[in-house]
Amino acid sequence: MEQYYPLIAKILFALYCLVILGGGLVAVLARGLVRAMVGLVLTMFGVAGMYLLMAAPFIALMQLLIYVGAVTILIFFAIMLTSAPAGNEERKPRLIRQGFLAFAAGIGPAVMLALICMKSPQVTTGLPKVVPISVLGGQLVTNLVLAFELISVVLLIAMAGAVLLGWERRKKAK
Amino acid sequence: MTPLVMFQLVALGLLGLGLFGILWRKSLVGMLICVELMLNGAGLSIVSAAMLTPAGDSFGQLITLLVMGLAAAEATLVLAIILVVTKRFGHDESQEISELGG
Repeated sequence: MEQYYPLIAKILFALYCLVILGGGLVAVLARGLVRAMVGLVLTMFGVAGMYLLMAAPFIALMQLLIYVGAVTILIFFAIMLTSAPAGNEERKPRLIRQGFLAFAAGIGPAVMLALICMKSPQVTTGLPKVVPISVLGGQLVTNLVLAFELISVVLLIAMAGAVLLGWERRKKAK
Repeated sequence: MTPLVMFQLVALGLLGLGLFGILWRKSLVGMLICVELMLNGAGLSIVSAAMLTPAGDSFGQLITLLVMGLAAAEATLVLAIILVVTKRFGHDESQEISELGG
């Protein structure tokens, strides 16, 4: 069984690649926003699989918890609260020139970075090793304690700001 | 091609898709979805750069965790902003929203 591991890893990598790119295409090109969100969820699952492939199970679970669990719900709320009455902005026809320019703007930086990435020599180790969660937690309260505290403050401020914006909207409605 | 380069190429694919989508989409919610695509690509790139090179493994994983936290905060604020814009303009089409000031 052991000798098949590299082959299985390659097959899984190809599968996750397909899932990520297919989901991304759906997320970008789908007419309905709910379908686009489902494509985004597919992409997130693919990225979580990639994390598992890189021996980072904790990050994979956090990806599922935070992105698939929380951010998707937020996006769904945004879809539900905005696009119901007016809606369907996405169905309006687009100029071909606009699509071409968008394609160029998307593909240009990606191809340039990909060329740089493939040309520059890189030092890679062999197989990645699983980091125990206790080590991750220890890092979080020693080396990265400032970032950890700052992210909690940022989350608190974002939450308070969201409440403030929503509150003002409701007051004006009365 | 080493595994590191292949992971980075997938991440760059996500970046390209997100950049294309943010210009292609007409509504603000669609643009938010594309931003999340790009942030996923960034996380993938960071984790692969940490796990497959001699750089610190745990450091890269935790930085990705912080990126996820920032993404959640950003999504919260964008949701509130989209709500305010929709309330004020009646729609969330990015081409039509060109007025500043109250």
